[in-house]
Amino acid sequence: MVEMSAISATNLSKHYGTVAAVNSISFNIEPGEIVGFLGPNGAGKTTTLRMLAGLIHPTGGSCRILGRHVPSPSLLEIGTMIEEPSFYPYMTGTANLKHAALLHGDVPKARIGEVLALVKMEGAADKKVRAYSQGMRQRLGLARALLWRPKVLLLDEPTNGLDPVGIAEFRESLLETARQGVTILISSHILAEIEKLVERVLAIERGRLLFDGPLEQLLLHTDEQRVTYRVEATDQGVLLAALADMKLGTEIVDERFVRVILPASATPGFVSGLVQRGVEVLEARRETGNLEGAYLRLLREDGRPA
Amino acid sequence: MSGLFNVIRAELFKAKRKRRTYILAGLLWVVLPILILIVGRILQTNLSGSFVEDTVGVQTLVQQVASPFAVARLNLILPVLSSPPFLMIVIALFAALLVGEERNQNMWKTTLVTQPNRWSVLFGKIAVGMILYGIILAGAFLSGILFGAVGTLFLDTTFAGEWGHLAGLYALQWVLGIGAMMFAFLAIWLLRNVAMGIVTVLFLPTLIEGLYTLYRTTVGFQPLNRFNALFQMLRLRQTLEDLPRYFFTRNLYAPARDPLSDVVIGLGGDPASSDLGSLVNALGGNITLQHATLVTIGYALALGGVLIWSFLKRDIQ
Repeated sequence: MVEMSAISATNLSKHYGTVAAVNSISFNIEPGEIVGFLGPNGAGKTTTLRMLAGLIHPTGGSCRILGRHVPSPSLLEIGTMIEEPSFYPYMTGTANLKHAALLHGDVPKARIGEVLALVKMEGAADKKVRAYSQGMRQRLGLARALLWRPKVLLLDEPTNGLDPVGIAEFRESLLETARQGVTILISSHILAEIEKLVERVLAIERGRLLFDGPLEQLLLHTDEQRVTYRVEATDQGVLLAALADMKLGTEIVDERFVRVILPASATPGFVSGLVQRGVEVLEARRETGNLEGAYLRLLREDGRPA
Repeated sequence: MSGLFNVIRAELFKAKRKRRTYILAGLLWVVLPILILIVGRILQTNLSGSFVEDTVGVQTLVQQVASPFAVARLNLILPVLSSPPFLMIVIALFAALLVGEERNQNMWKTTLVTQPNRWSVLFGKIAVGMILYGIILAGAFLSGILFGAVGTLFLDTTFAGEWGHLAGLYALQWVLGIGAMMFAFLAIWLLRNVAMGIVTVLFLPTLIEGLYTLYRTTVGFQPLNRFNALFQMLRLRQTLEDLPRYFFTRNLYAPARDPLSDVVIGLGGDPASSDLGSLVNALGGNITLQHATLVTIGYALALGGVLIWSFLKRDIQ
């Protein structure tokens, strides 16, 4: 039996008059995947997410959630946070969740307490939402999105307005959710966050899909697959001389570390080459690929000044 | 169907937490009956032995104003005689709670993802609007009886009255509320602005009816002019003459206005007399309850059709 995709779009388009907000994009996301959705403002991310959620009607193509065309009852299986989460301000956090639970209809009573605990909001649950900070609203929004144990989560800039601690907590909540097998499509401007969460990336620009593939592939996609090392040696002068001899690009980070950029093909002999040139290497750590840099290069390739 | 019931349960849960629900109920269930009883008491104490005894008698007058039946009856009549009519304000505010607030609080994107069946959402919200309106009307009827009963302790009144007929009028006024509910939902939904929607609901029908009056007083009374010649040629003249019988508000409030002529008769007046001033319009002319029901249901179907089409079609940004 062929397993159905959790989310799929086929030539999905949305035109407003002559303007194409989304222009014939296609992708499939398998159950359990966490996929990052990248794109600058106005690229068409939110429009795509809204079409997947059944909020706006495509002008071309189609989309499916859990194998069924949108709109259909399969939309009851998705949870969303699209842009800033909104609530009834005169009701408490718990009452807002209770209202959503009643509206959905398939939520056990105990589940409200569970999701509040998951996002660490038990302490503020009985305050009226109008008194909530931005971060509390974001976390309550995630709690609501998870309320009916959705199989698919569509998250649009979910960490907007969160402080670093809030972002870290939010990431933990999301990873915990992902471990339960939920398919997640998440858009964010904070690329470092996406990098820590996802294995696959969709990049969209001016309504067109520029890239669809594993994160590593995007990171290696451009700049001739270069690799960055961070190196510390007992004598930085000897290290710099050796690197100059090896004709490698360098950048002094501080008095201890030097950043070295080399072609991926030169990686195997890099450290032994340093040792042969008399360098006492204390540490040579390969730096994780920089998603932001790779993404900006991708946009530049597309003709956009990045 | 489960989606519909889910929406009804959720929206009732929300309405229970909204202060305006209780304020509206309090005005009609408590404030109005108390004012009526105060008027009854004033009539009984101040008019005894006056000229009134020679015409209708104070006891009759007080019975017509402040008996349990009279309070329940006035709880139906008075809310449609205010300007704008209180019952329309009730409906507009409930529509604002159920539809307008989703827009104001940017909640449509949440509501329609949580319950993606738009038919269920729309009909659930309309059903809740009608339930709340029904509760308000039923409460007005019961509070009229209750306060009237309290009034019998210090007023010369009895429980006499055509209770079945009055209950029927309350029920019919509730049924006809569907026309106003559709109108309020549509105005607030289409205008995407709660304040403008409420203003439209309260004043647009009156404005249109006022324009017709302007036409009648300027062009319509001329025996023959270009307009009338054209209308007569198109055989529209009679239709234009009959137009007021199909006005929205004139039909919508027909059940509440129906007992007004009984009040006038009970107080010794003649409903057909032109001496009744502004009450002449309130009496509703020759509009029967059957006619009013058909016309209002017609409005409900037309407005509801546009509302459904627009609600299912619109993108939620």
